[in-house]
Amino acid sequence: MREQAMVLNTNPLQRIPGVAVMLVLLCVVFSLMTPGFLTVPNISNVLVQSTILLMLALPMTLIIMTEGLDLSMGAVLTLTSLIVAIVALATGSLLLGLLAAMAVGILFGTVNGWLVAVVGIPPFVATLGTLGMAQGLSLIVSDGQSVVGMPAAVRGVYSGTLGGVPLPIVLALGSYLVFHGLLYHTRFGTYIFALGGNREALKFAGISARRLLILVYALGGAMVGLAGLLMTARMNSGHPTAGLGLEFDAIAAVAVGGTSFERGNGWLLGTLLGVVTVGVLRNGLNLLALPSSIQVASVGLLVIAALFVDGLRSRS
Amino acid sequence: MTQLAQSKAAVSIVQAAPPLFELRGISKEFPGVKALDDVSFSVWPGEVHMLLGENGAGKSSLMKVLCGAYRADSGSFHYNGEKVEITSPADAQKLGIAVIFQEFSLVPYLDIAQNIFLGREPAGRVPGTIDRKKILADARHVLDSIGFDIDPTIRIEKLGVAQQQMVEIAKAISQNARILVMDEPTAALSDRETELLFALIARLKADGVAIIYISHRMAEVFSLGDRITVLRDGRRIDEVQPGAVSSDDLVRMMVGRSVDMSYPRTFAQTPGKVMLEVKGLSSSSGIAGIDLVVRQGEIVGLCGLVGSGRTEVVRAIFGADKATAGQILFDGQEKSGGPDEAARLGLALIPESRKAEGLALIRSVGDNLIVSALRKIFPRGFFDQGKSRQVAYDLIRQLRIVTPSDKQAVGLLSGGNQQKVVIGKWLAAGAKLFIFDEPTRGIDVGAKAEIFALIDRLVADGAAALMISSEQAEICHVCDRAYVMCDGRIAGELARHELSEENIVKLGMHHA
Repeated sequence: MREQAMVLNTNPLQRIPGVAVMLVLLCVVFSLMTPGFLTVPNISNVLVQSTILLMLALPMTLIIMTEGLDLSMGAVLTLTSLIVAIVALATGSLLLGLLAAMAVGILFGTVNGWLVAVVGIPPFVATLGTLGMAQGLSLIVSDGQSVVGMPAAVRGVYSGTLGGVPLPIVLALGSYLVFHGLLYHTRFGTYIFALGGNREALKFAGISARRLLILVYALGGAMVGLAGLLMTARMNSGHPTAGLGLEFDAIAAVAVGGTSFERGNGWLLGTLLGVVTVGVLRNGLNLLALPSSIQVASVGLLVIAALFVDGLRSRS
Repeated sequence: MTQLAQSKAAVSIVQAAPPLFELRGISKEFPGVKALDDVSFSVWPGEVHMLLGENGAGKSSLMKVLCGAYRADSGSFHYNGEKVEITSPADAQKLGIAVIFQEFSLVPYLDIAQNIFLGREPAGRVPGTIDRKKILADARHVLDSIGFDIDPTIRIEKLGVAQQQMVEIAKAISQNARILVMDEPTAALSDRETELLFALIARLKADGVAIIYISHRMAEVFSLGDRITVLRDGRRIDEVQPGAVSSDDLVRMMVGRSVDMSYPRTFAQTPGKVMLEVKGLSSSSGIAGIDLVVRQGEIVGLCGLVGSGRTEVVRAIFGADKATAGQILFDGQEKSGGPDEAARLGLALIPESRKAEGLALIRSVGDNLIVSALRKIFPRGFFDQGKSRQVAYDLIRQLRIVTPSDKQAVGLLSGGNQQKVVIGKWLAAGAKLFIFDEPTRGIDVGAKAEIFALIDRLVADGAAALMISSEQAEICHVCDRAYVMCDGRIAGELARHELSEENIVKLGMHHA
């Protein structure tokens, strides 16, 4: 006899994830409402603008899969972006700026992971604490001012191309592939599924959940460092509020992408689609000349709508 | 099951060798409870050793000692005749002991192969990666060896309970388990799935695996077991051959727990009008066709094994689980809503875990007593300190709650007094029917008698009570009548004169 897995969704339509439906729907609506939306430069623009968000949303997916959260990402991004700017200004070296930013990012991530895994503070509270610290540090290092006068190389990171593809997209796609490999093809990734899915199983397999958790948050910090480089390049300066609220978009993209906050149910491709969906939404509202306050509200609405659709479908 | 019969015949030959694994004089004590008292137990390769006992007889504790989750206070372990130590799960694993709990230790969003080899993944060429080809081949090999033909790339979330159990077994076998402990493995299986499991057990026996099998089903105890050990009150009562005993013999060995029989019950009132009537109640949590009646002045017991659906019945009555069929009449009125309606009608649920569900531990005795009755005491919505304290004082006196003052935090009281506060809370709210879920759990003997005296006074004053208890002696001494549940249904009703532990156990066992 051949055992068959229970087929949960018999209707093929139901297997199309909510995020894909949402993305197509938004694209259709915006291309009908504004002529400027469905043009090559604009689509390219949406994708380039989504790269920073993707770099936060990728590790955020992993963190959420462990039933965690990192609220500090936006604030740490501000800090790492400032550090890139300050170091590049002082030394003229972009590489030094990037290394310094990643070091600071990893430090914050490690502290987050340590607070969550070892001290046992709930992730929400622990990362809210480090959010405040990163915000304060940003103001201290920048003295509340923008850091301007970047070397030309800085701008090049954002505007340059590699084989005709914008450099930020190359970096973001590279990050995506690395995370994909990490999550689906390594022991580390396997254990992340287990961290949220059944921590007891991990314990019986003799694997330290603490070490893993710290690694996951530290990895997030490293990505925030890399995203800091892109942020500084994008604005051609360091700004003390550059990353404000980006953790919200990152969490939204992960949630819209179908990663669940329970049982370690993560989907990396969903996060990629979620990031693009958030990007399309903001871009479309921009083209319609709606104020940014509406944008923030819309992203919130998008999360609720996506989860609502998924909830409806899983019930039926 | 000719295979089983064959392997049963083989066992008598094997027994000349030393047992594969032996426990000698294992004891384990928790504050106030002797969970295991000088238990000895052995298994030979290729046999199924049945472990039988009531709730709380010590089966779970024995399993936890075996798998290294608990450390025995005294006694010794012997593997192939040699003395060994088990102080951690790793020790047990090294000895080839694997426990398949009812709660599986599988990761839902990983596939079968990843679950079988969790923590032991074959390394790929790039450091940190997994050799996907090898892990799938290894998984197929293990699954083949237990005759489970399934694609190892299917994720656990897509599998039914029986299939998950097979994966657990495959995982154990892949760790070279020679001693497999199964905790009621057929509890959630259909008949067909059970057959498949039994075929697998026969196969494992033929391979020389020793199986320790915990069960509540008489039929499988006899059809599957090569030997039966009965536990009661943490002690080994006897080890018998299935051919030499009847199921009545086994029941007799399981019951007869020694308890203090001096629970007071006055039976002051002859049962009055019907307070609660449940007709054909079914709910999504698996209970079906429940009929029961509770009258004024009565204490009605609801018994059965853990997992037989007792708590689910109570939850459905209270409205915490949605009823899918049937009717609930409370005081002649149909009840269809949720817990808020139940509370308003005068239905009180005193849950098993009072700390989690019944009390705000850091708040004072007084606050806890009046919290459910605020609307009744202060119908106009304004709080009056004096009045509230008066109500609390009256309840403390009436229920004889031992507390330095009404300001004391509830968490600092003894278990018995906490239980009284929960009862008092509902009393203040005007409850007429009290549903108790394991009212004496974690309460010492003296306090138990007091709780029962209190319940007795409540019903003598015109209330009614429905009581879930795993302590059959308590049911027998305190209740007017009792319903016995089995597999989500009411297996039978026992009148006062029929109430005996033996009758309860007989009705509650699976005879199918």
